[in-house]
Amino acid sequence: MWRDARVLRVVGQVIAVVVVFLLLRWLFANLVENSRRTGISLDFGFLNRPTQFQIPNHDEFDPRSPVWQMVLVGIKNTLLASVFGIILAAILGLVVGIARLSKNWLAAKLAATYVEFFRNIPPLVIIVFFAFAVFLYGPLPNLRESIEIGFPGTDHNVLVLSLEQWGMPSLADAGNLAAFGLVLAVGVVIAVLVWRWRTRVNDQTGAPHHRVLWALGVLAVLLLVGYVVLGEPFRITWPTLGENRRRLVDGFAINAGFISVAGALGLYTASHVAEIVRGSILAISTGQSEAANALALTGFQRNRFVILPQALRIALPPLINQCLNLVKNTSLAAAVGYSEITNLTQASIGNGRPAVPSIVILMGVYLSFSLIISFMLNVVNRRMQLAT
Amino acid sequence: MSSESSTQAFADATRAKGDALIEVSGVDKYFSDFQALKDININVGKQEVVVVIGPSGSGKSTLIRCINRLEKHDRGTIVVDGIELSEDIRNIQEVRRETGMVFQQFNLFPHLTVIENITLAPREVRRLPKREAESLAKEMLERVKIPEQAHKYPGQLSGGQQQRVAIARSLAMKPKVMLFDEPTSALDPEMIKEVLDVMVELAEGGMTMIVVTHEMGFARAVADRVVFMSDGQIVEVGTPEHFFTDPREDRTKLFLSQIL
Amino acid sequence: MTAVETRPAPVRSTTPVEWVRERLFPNVASGIVTVLLLPVLLYAGYRAVLFVAVNGRWEVVTRNLTLFMQGTFPRDEQWRIVAQIMCMAFALGVGASTAASGAADRAREAGLPVARQRPLEVVRRFWPLIAFVLVLLYFASTAAPWLVVLGALALFLLGTLARFLTASFRNVGWLLMALSVIAGFQVVSGTTGRSWVAAAVVVVIVVWASVRLEGLDRLPRLAAKVGLSVLAAAIVFGVYTLIPLSGVGWDRWSGLHLTLWVSALAIILSFPLGLLLALARRSTLPALRMLSTGYIELIRGVPLITLLFMGQYILGFMLPAGSNPSSITRAIAAITLFTAAYVAEIVRGGLQSLPYGQTEAAQALGLPPAKSMRLIILPQALRAVIPAMVGQFISLFKDTSLLYILAINEFLGVRSLVHAQPDFRSVAHAETLVFVAFGYWAFAYAMSRESQRLERRLRVGI
Repeated sequence: MWRDARVLRVVGQVIAVVVVFLLLRWLFANLVENSRRTGISLDFGFLNRPTQFQIPNHDEFDPRSPVWQMVLVGIKNTLLASVFGIILAAILGLVVGIARLSKNWLAAKLAATYVEFFRNIPPLVIIVFFAFAVFLYGPLPNLRESIEIGFPGTDHNVLVLSLEQWGMPSLADAGNLAAFGLVLAVGVVIAVLVWRWRTRVNDQTGAPHHRVLWALGVLAVLLLVGYVVLGEPFRITWPTLGENRRRLVDGFAINAGFISVAGALGLYTASHVAEIVRGSILAISTGQSEAANALALTGFQRNRFVILPQALRIALPPLINQCLNLVKNTSLAAAVGYSEITNLTQASIGNGRPAVPSIVILMGVYLSFSLIISFMLNVVNRRMQLAT
Repeated sequence: MSSESSTQAFADATRAKGDALIEVSGVDKYFSDFQALKDININVGKQEVVVVIGPSGSGKSTLIRCINRLEKHDRGTIVVDGIELSEDIRNIQEVRRETGMVFQQFNLFPHLTVIENITLAPREVRRLPKREAESLAKEMLERVKIPEQAHKYPGQLSGGQQQRVAIARSLAMKPKVMLFDEPTSALDPEMIKEVLDVMVELAEGGMTMIVVTHEMGFARAVADRVVFMSDGQIVEVGTPEHFFTDPREDRTKLFLSQIL
Repeated sequence: MTAVETRPAPVRSTTPVEWVRERLFPNVASGIVTVLLLPVLLYAGYRAVLFVAVNGRWEVVTRNLTLFMQGTFPRDEQWRIVAQIMCMAFALGVGASTAASGAADRAREAGLPVARQRPLEVVRRFWPLIAFVLVLLYFASTAAPWLVVLGALALFLLGTLARFLTASFRNVGWLLMALSVIAGFQVVSGTTGRSWVAAAVVVVIVVWASVRLEGLDRLPRLAAKVGLSVLAAAIVFGVYTLIPLSGVGWDRWSGLHLTLWVSALAIILSFPLGLLLALARRSTLPALRMLSTGYIELIRGVPLITLLFMGQYILGFMLPAGSNPSSITRAIAAITLFTAAYVAEIVRGGLQSLPYGQTEAAQALGLPPAKSMRLIILPQALRAVIPAMVGQFISLFKDTSLLYILAINEFLGVRSLVHAQPDFRSVAHAETLVFVAFGYWAFAYAMSRESQRLERRLRVGI
């Protein structure tokens, strides 16, 4: 009986589970014992107590607010940096990836150098470079003497550059921004309908559909009409130095920490995205291109209908993986002054909050992001499966 | 042929040649809900060559893969050389030592040289010292007629050569019965002959063999019995003469008309 | 029919003008790109050259080179690091030539062409690392670094003499390399404490792998191997207790020295753990599978810094009161546990990519599952994932920079010591960062080129 395959399996399982269980139990027993001994708590009650330190660059945050509000600020900042980083990485990565495949020797070599440079240095070094060599000790002036890049011919600044903050133009509500938003939504719906109409026309008559032009044109016209009818529902605010050149008023101010993190991660992740883009296009066998050429498709048609759809299918899973990596890499902001969740957790522990539950929450936050993104990945994978 | 003598021929055909080496009784096999083997009963005797033919999906490969436990049968018994196949690991290992299998895809180990492929099992399973294993391997390579390829890697050999190495690899374990799962189906036509020649020599040398194949010429030349399977069942069993000239079942006739 | 004689192919040479036309202006769009890019590139290049050659305050590196290389390692014990470099150079020479001659032998027997490495090719192959060493020498203000480099080169060449070992003595080569590495490690950290454990483990592994004992039955063979291993471990223990050498424990290492060692240790330790996790994840036992899947998915969902925090703040609580592992021990443990999960996924991918026919052939031959895993499945699966593994190890090397956040002074963090000096408090930050970035880049780029080369060879070869 002891040679029976099934018995051995069960016995093996039981042994493995018992060993791991005992190990975990020993670790946790030590944890509880040591916590009791040193008087440091293990529960999550600290979340309701006041934060007691100021989050830098967040003047509106009251240090008396409970800790869980600080956690929310951290999560918000993580998301903000992630979103901008991903957008930057996607655009830059796509451009660099395609440039690397280009026939133009200069573009290809430049793209290759970009990729081989950024892929092989730690993202933290890039972030620190931005934070210290560009901003803190760098060539930019401080806020009073910011570089103001103006709109030629007017008084307005398009860009304000300084050591602590950069200013950009922004939209402000001049009465009817919500209504304009509605116009935008309606306009998008109508544009989609126009798109489908033009596609149908093309199916039935074979005439070129020009649906992109039609849809965008209709959208633009509707937005223009809405703008006029609603009588200037929004206005553009330009960044200016107010209060005796001590603060950036109007416009949209981003601080150095954010630019360091989002910009650096965007540049770094773009190098990976470029490699994925390049790899997925190269992975399409030459036979596909040959078949497309044999059918007399133009270069654009070959890319649009044959190569890129297949490349996208191959590239999507690793691209989503890179998104996850970027979100996890925002934790590097703990080294510079950007208050995302890891930075704040480290500061909070330094200010006396209990370490164990804080770190559990921290890991929980990232795990949630990771689970959401993995879920998306699975959905995408399943939708993209080729029928066998 | 008179009906009496044909029945006699049939009865002779279903009886095994020597003592039964493999006894398969009442075997069923399911893949989820699909029944791949339905009530298989067959005995294979010592030194007998049994060729199994049939359309794809008929269960022929499943049957021989059950004999060396690469697949588990769900009902019935399989006894190989007196050892019954069950969950007992020691039995399974013993049966695998006594049976040799040659696969359609050769399945040579690409990271080992030819001679390392052949000496691996004798050294690790039968505990032969290296020198003895190597001389045994060289002997096997002579038998399959490619002694000069001993130190090459499988990737450097042609398909026919690879399959012959696979045969040598199984023979090096001195099995009592050799199982062949469509050994020539993955080969280019000009290489089929060299592999079949080796198999014919093996058969004439007295090896007990069960061969799943589409090569009817081989069946006619060396088979003691031909088994026709379809839809998981054994439809007909007979000697090659009987089988190819006067099959009884309609399904057999249909199949033969499609391939001959 | 008369045969047509073969004539030499028409010669096509490209004049520079043609090259420019083809590569830079093949069509209108491309031409515009060239016209836009060229001035930008030239300007950027001009500014870069200005920075490197003219304006840069590179004396920050020259004056702090020792800090960058070995951090706050006690100055009077520097000879240890020099000795370590020598041992490692020797080990590298022995290891590389033993591996190369083994491969050459197998190729020769199989009738395959044998690859020859000429010195010029070696230089081209490793030019990033060579460039880094040259840059270091440029910044050196004494003759000592030159002597160290020359000495290391000499010992490397000495080690390559191992290629003259015949096949039956090849295990001696591996043993020599292992001993060199151990010696190199010990000469810095000393033989006190429990360091004999690591050395004993390495020696036992080498003994197990090289002793063959043919012709013996299973039980006596096992007994003999166990006996030999115990004997070897006892010898190691004896040597260590009889020759007590003081040393500088790794909690006092910093700079590039620390970065390299943390990476190496984490790589070596994470590999077996990752392998076990991968096998557990593919096991048919549901409990093992769930445990390892849970671990892997948990680790892969969080950033490394959270594990480093765990190591710093929580690990102390999980161990019995009184034991207080140093920061570096905790960091190495965290990085190892982190990397093991990624290694597990890579190995799992390799195992899945192996055709199932290989397992079946091994089973049909009567090989028990453990043997078939060790001899057939793992060698092939691991060979297939070498590029992905090297990529992971490059990541690991770059991730050691995170120790900066824990205030550990590895290669990136040592900058804070440099800029704490009154002379360099607010200047030359760009220069130190460029230097550090160059250092990381040199190692990572060299490793990635090696991995690409290996990938190309494996695909063409067997």
